[in-house]
Amino acid sequence: MTDLQIRNFSIIAHIDHGKSTLADRLLQATKAVSDREAKEQLLDSMDLERERGITIKASAVTVSHERAGESGPEPFMLNFIDTPGHVDFGYEVSRALKACEGALLVIDASQGVEAQTVVNAYLAIEQDLEIIPVLNKIDLPSARPDEIAMEVEQVLGLPAEDCIPVSAKTGQGIPELLDAICTKLPAPRAPKIKQARGLIFDAVYDDYRGVVIYVRVFDGRLRIGDKMRMMGLGRTYQITELGKYTPKPNKVKELGPGETGYLVAAIKTLGDVRVGDTITIDHDPAPEPLEGYAPPRQMVFCDLYPATTADKKGGDFEEMREAMGKLALNDSSFTYQTVHSEALGFGFRCGFLGLLHMDIVQERLEREFDLEVVQTAPTVPYKVDIRTKGGEVEEIEVHNPADLPDMSSVIDIKEPIARVEVMVPKQYIGDVMKLALDRRGIYKNQTFVSETRDLLTFEIPLAELIFDFYDKLKGITAGYGTMDYEVSEYRKDQLVKVDVLINGEPVEALSLITHRDKAEQRGRTLLVRLRKQIPRHKFEIPLQAAIGGKIIARETIKGFRKDVTAKCYGGDFTRKRKLLEKQRKGKERMKNIGSVSIPQEAFMAVLDTGE
Amino acid sequence: MLLSFPTAGGLAKQVPAWPERRVCRSVSNAHDIALTPTRQREPREVAHALRARPDPSRRPRSLYLHVPFCFHKCHYCDFYSIVDSRDRQAAFVDRLDREIQAIGALADQPPLRTIFVGGGTPTLLRPDLWERLAASLRTNLNLSNPDLEFTVECNPETATPELFDVLQGAGVNRLSFGAQSFNTAHLKTLERWHDPDSVPRALELAHAAGIRRVSLDLIYGIPGQTLDEALDDIERALALGVTHLSAYALTYEPGTAMTARRDRGEFAEPDEDLEADIYDAAVARLAEAGLGRYEVSNFARADHECRHNLAYWRQEAWLAAGPSASGHLHEPDGGSHRWKNVPRLDSYLRDDFEGLAPVIDYEAPDALRLVAERIMSGIRLAEGVDRIAILDAADRAEPGAAARLQAAEREPRERGWLLERDDRWVLSDAGFLFADGVARRFLGVLRKVGPG
Ligand SMILES: Nc1nc2c(ncn2[C@@H]2O[C@H](COP(=O)(O)OP(=O)(O)OP(=O)(O)O)[C@@H](O)[C@H]2O)c(=O)[nH]1
Ligand code: SF4
Ligand SMILES: [Mg+2]
Repeated sequence: MTDLQIRNFSIIAHIDHGKSTLADRLLQATKAVSDREAKEQLLDSMDLERERGITIKASAVTVSHERAGESGPEPFMLNFIDTPGHVDFGYEVSRALKACEGALLVIDASQGVEAQTVVNAYLAIEQDLEIIPVLNKIDLPSARPDEIAMEVEQVLGLPAEDCIPVSAKTGQGIPELLDAICTKLPAPRAPKIKQARGLIFDAVYDDYRGVVIYVRVFDGRLRIGDKMRMMGLGRTYQITELGKYTPKPNKVKELGPGETGYLVAAIKTLGDVRVGDTITIDHDPAPEPLEGYAPPRQMVFCDLYPATTADKKGGDFEEMREAMGKLALNDSSFTYQTVHSEALGFGFRCGFLGLLHMDIVQERLEREFDLEVVQTAPTVPYKVDIRTKGGEVEEIEVHNPADLPDMSSVIDIKEPIARVEVMVPKQYIGDVMKLALDRRGIYKNQTFVSETRDLLTFEIPLAELIFDFYDKLKGITAGYGTMDYEVSEYRKDQLVKVDVLINGEPVEALSLITHRDKAEQRGRTLLVRLRKQIPRHKFEIPLQAAIGGKIIARETIKGFRKDVTAKCYGGDFTRKRKLLEKQRKGKERMKNIGSVSIPQEAFMAVLDTGE
Repeated sequence: MLLSFPTAGGLAKQVPAWPERRVCRSVSNAHDIALTPTRQREPREVAHALRARPDPSRRPRSLYLHVPFCFHKCHYCDFYSIVDSRDRQAAFVDRLDREIQAIGALADQPPLRTIFVGGGTPTLLRPDLWERLAASLRTNLNLSNPDLEFTVECNPETATPELFDVLQGAGVNRLSFGAQSFNTAHLKTLERWHDPDSVPRALELAHAAGIRRVSLDLIYGIPGQTLDEALDDIERALALGVTHLSAYALTYEPGTAMTARRDRGEFAEPDEDLEADIYDAAVARLAEAGLGRYEVSNFARADHECRHNLAYWRQEAWLAAGPSASGHLHEPDGGSHRWKNVPRLDSYLRDDFEGLAPVIDYEAPDALRLVAERIMSGIRLAEGVDRIAILDAADRAEPGAAARLQAAEREPRERGWLLERDDRWVLSDAGFLFADGVARRFLGVLRKVGPG
């Protein structure tokens, strides 16, 4: 019997290529769960994850496996992390990779290499991980493992013959995959120092135990009862519980070098923990922390307000504040702060990793906290150089067009630029090029993938990307195009703020930042949308879009001509009365700007790019 | 996370890799009232109301009968009707006969003033069944009033001399024809299946059968229809010599094919200005021809108004039978019961409570609610609402309510929509197009109204 060997790896892939299903099969093949317990996507435990069928949080488990060696069975401990496939949660992937030596790169054998396959593979290569390409879904009649293996070689430079064909559905190929994991993936590096060092790669909040930290130990040992210290924040806590998810939580006494597990230490809020920080032992601390990672960057911001206008901070606003606090406990990448808007009253400016993240938070607010919210159009964070009163240049970050200082003090507005990978069937390349250029994109590169597909690389301003680029891409490629992006830098451009005036009054919640060349079109489209969404009033309402006081577009909502239903529904007056009541309530729920009532959905009109 | 085993099985996986554009939930849409189908219930309160003996002025003198069959479903229609493939006409008439018997046995029996048979397409009933229905009415109810107004809705395509003879023999003296438009293209848009030439033919047959009073229904604001085309429909109707005309702006009711087609973008809803222009022009033209507007959408020669509908709009009491028929009966001491018979033909045929039908949407007496409804429907009439009587009833229902109504009348009066004439609230000419706005204004101060 040989010594226990450890392998740490992440499962990465394009969305829906089967990571979570493959994780299920690994659990089953290693008897971590019985066949009876094996349900679909075991590691997706949030309601929303199971309902949407996607993984949102990375999750780590430990299983044991025996490889048949020449001199008898060789025991292995496999720690693996299922990661989310959606680009918004790329951050989760990066930090999962930091805790590993290897990665299973899962590729759907009928779909082939997709944009996120490429981006995720790059992430793994950047961190020097050993990659095992896994061709999944070979049970499908449409599977083309040989061709896809060639794509892997062509695009990612991984030898085609290294690909392991499997079916996460039927279990075919799983034993071979387990073998490869044991054989090909490197063992954890040897400890470099004798003092303990563990990397915090995730943290979640649990109602009963407080914060649960996910830790990967690189050096030394963590033991129950030890007083640990988080090196970055300098806080110390007593370790009360250590364990591994198998996937049931399984308590252990200590975690040694190379091991991955969880740690509980009576930490009350997620705010007390920084993912990426290093844990050491207080009485014998490591001289240097491990290399950590930067905190997640919120790349999409929007305001959320209670549906009933809160003129004072009370009622629904308080309820919403409480809900925000609870959400932030579970989701450290979501930020919020109080804001007040003339039109919408008190609410919150929230930061998200991306649009899906925003959607998920909003959905949780409504579902778990039963709140009705009004959402303003999402924007990206801008960096703005301004001249202060003293004359110096200062850079500020602006998360909402309304916060942009007076244009006379603005020197430059810089916007986030994304490096975008688009996987596209060859016949659509021209259309995709045009779409990217229309969105102020810069063409960077074209890579041959196979006879039928190419990988295009662009730099596109994030603001042009987040709204409907993906929908448009799907539209022009008959659904076959895929994309992924990473924000690479900030760049200045001719950006302007467009103000919207309703009945002569500026409405900050409707203002937007856009490129000068597009300002007029955006302004006009926005006004047309508003004209359709704001009901006619008893008087005429002028709508205007302006840049720094100069009107660039105008529309008018005519005063209404009629407000009467033709029929009285025979003798059914219950129905007629309920209809009138409902209309009256609808009016009450609108937001009032001066004497104009604006329906809540009008605040999303800014999203319409008019293309 | 991950601490417990998920219990739900894997769910269907249909996720866009990117969130679909999502817009905040819609707030209010004038057409979008979903009357959640309340579960049907026993008509216990209806039986009680039928037995009650309010003062004579509040006893039911009108009866509505609903015949739920059509040979095709028009796209704008949200009346309860089905294209019956199982020939349940005889079973239906049997059941209706039992309901009429039950009503006759329970209710007080002052002579009826009006009967209205609507649908669906009542004239789709076979003549022999019509005879049975007429016999049931004669046997169970008091039809002794020589002045009885007896109206049947008629699809012009179904008119035959034989049917009209039977109707005339049954006492029917008024026919309401669904013409909708004389323009084939617009009829096609509505998916209303009849040949416009069948309308004059049907009128002649009615005349020949001795049924003198006829009314036509028109619809305007049909997608693609111009002002001139709408007025042409009015001319064609006038040329036929009708003395009563209903002109309804096309309404997009939830759940109808027309609404679905609009939402799919098949056509655009006509401009509000065009609809208002058509309305104004129609009112003027009809007045010139001697047909005065006596309700927002209804026009008639003097004394040719539909007395049945007037009873509704004045919130008098009426009996109702047949699937989806709505009834209204007063309590002796203010307030009124409202209910609707179960709409589904299957349930109607199957569930029988000593003859009565199961009901949905039952509303218990609530004097303040009735005040709101009297304003809501009365204001649509040219005669308007008796202001003194309403204020009086409001204060009896809830002290202080009258003062609130008086405060509420100010705004519509200042806008010139509402007038006070002979102690009645009446809409001005301009006000007719804002009848709902005026009604909402009043309803808004009668807070207790209804549960939701
Ligand atoms: N036929 C077949 N279907 C599979 C296989 N593996 C996964 N699937 C199906 O593919 C879909 C996506 O699987 P998941 O495991 O949720 O994919 P994922 O990569 O974890 O998805 P995200 O976490 O959202 O990125 C599910 O409907 C699975 O049932 C396979 O080997 N064969
Ligand atoms: S004939 Fe009348 S009831 Fe029948 S579907 Fe047409 S509109 Fe509706
Ligand atoms: Mg997953």
